[in-house]
Amino acid sequence: MPLLARTLREISQILVLAILFALGVNAMSPRGIALMGQWDVSEGLVRAGAKNEVMTHDREITRVQDAYALFQTGSVLFVDARDETLYSEGHIKGAESLPVYDYDAHFENFIARHPRMDQTLITYCSGRECEDSHTLATYLTDDGYTKVVIFIDGYPAWQKEGFPVEYGH
Amino acid sequence: MTNKKLECLVRWTLGGVFVYASIHKILDPSEFAKIIYGYQLVPGYVINLSAIILPFVELFTGLFLLLGIYPRSSAILANVMLGIFMVAISINLIRGHEFDCGCFSVNKNGHTASNIELLIRDAIWFVFGLLPILFRTERLFVIRS
Repeated sequence: MPLLARTLREISQILVLAILFALGVNAMSPRGIALMGQWDVSEGLVRAGAKNEVMTHDREITRVQDAYALFQTGSVLFVDARDETLYSEGHIKGAESLPVYDYDAHFENFIARHPRMDQTLITYCSGRECEDSHTLATYLTDDGYTKVVIFIDGYPAWQKEGFPVEYGH
Repeated sequence: MTNKKLECLVRWTLGGVFVYASIHKILDPSEFAKIIYGYQLVPGYVINLSAIILPFVELFTGLFLLLGIYPRSSAILANVMLGIFMVAISINLIRGHEFDCGCFSVNKNGHTASNIELLIRDAIWFVFGLLPILFRTERLFVIRS
């Protein structure tokens, strides 16, 4: 068999095997993702979309002005999901830091200061290309908080609008 | 190109690299999809399928190189992938695009290899990959050549 035809046949076999395994493992794995994701920032948070996604769009605040209107009521608590360095470099005024990557270490302190489980919490991170606010909202909901929503445009959009921010810890 | 031991060593090294590179992508396809998105080179409807399939192409290419199954074709496939990666990285280098989602949930310290480092690394593996492709005599440790 000519070398080129043989090479193409062998590569095709490897590719078919890989595709079959990939789709099979993705279908069975709890970490599997949807075959189509949401990658348009104008539509909301960009993400691959897990097969067993917990968070839904109805818990998202998609307009900065809506987040600001809630801020002005003074009855909500903004919770910053980013790491402490980014938090100290600037955050929404009055926001609590609860870094999602170190959630367990910080949660005890957080719940001690905010024991009301029906307190409205608004999580945020770095915008629509960042999932940490959604992850944090899932954690807080799992830990008993009943009113958790996500401000998907996060700190960059808030800052850009000139809404109140503060720096440091 | 007739040194059998060298061919075997290079093939195993390249195979090991591909298997190793595939594992964290297979374990976290969602994060890998985000990395593909970050390159801003493929349309949205292709991102998830790429994130699902590409790591397994890497895995099987690596396994075939290690086991000596279709070693030449596997090495060609490895180099095609490396070529695609290098083109993608180069395009982002040229247009000065640095993707940072600002998320630290997986990579806690926020450090990732720079585009230049990735490009050099891929270029080295690409050169390695040429040896099993150009090798003409009988190979060591092959199941199916």
